[in-house]
Amino acid sequence: MELADKAVGFLLTTISLSIFSYYTFWVLILPFVDSDHFIHMYFLSREYAIIIPLFAGITLLCFLSMFIGYVMLKSKKKSA
Amino acid sequence: MKHILKILELLVTISAIWIGLLQASIVSSSYAWLLPVYLIILLGCYGLFMVGVGLMFFPTCPQESHLLQKDIAEAKDFLKREGIDVNSD
Repeated sequence: MELADKAVGFLLTTISLSIFSYYTFWVLILPFVDSDHFIHMYFLSREYAIIIPLFAGITLLCFLSMFIGYVMLKSKKKSA
Repeated sequence: MKHILKILELLVTISAIWIGLLQASIVSSSYAWLLPVYLIILLGCYGLFMVGVGLMFFPTCPQESHLLQKDIAEAKDFLKREGIDVNSD
């Protein structure tokens, strides 16, 4: 059981570190690289650096509010 | 009430610094516009990282768990003898 916990923790840390490094590289370092370098093939165009987090944030908010609404409805049905 | 004030103070200082950066053009304008989004993502990443590290290095103390189970069994036994009904689901 502790091994599963440790595996989940390790997965979370790797995900967070990879997101951090990819996003930092994308936003801070890539504008200084010459535009005909090969590394630009691995990154999307810079407008996506705003659209993707915004979209993810809105999706998270929607999911949270749906979950809260669902739990509230279920508890009201049980007490009525 | 004081905690909300502290948080609002922090937000106001950060937005003042951001607007100052935009006006003074120390860094280029595109960087200054992207800075708040970057800071939010950084905060989320930091939280996720702390959760992952805490999960990885959480101590489980098996001896304490064993002693606790023995204590629970002993307490249940005692209470059952005295007549109190302890029924765990």
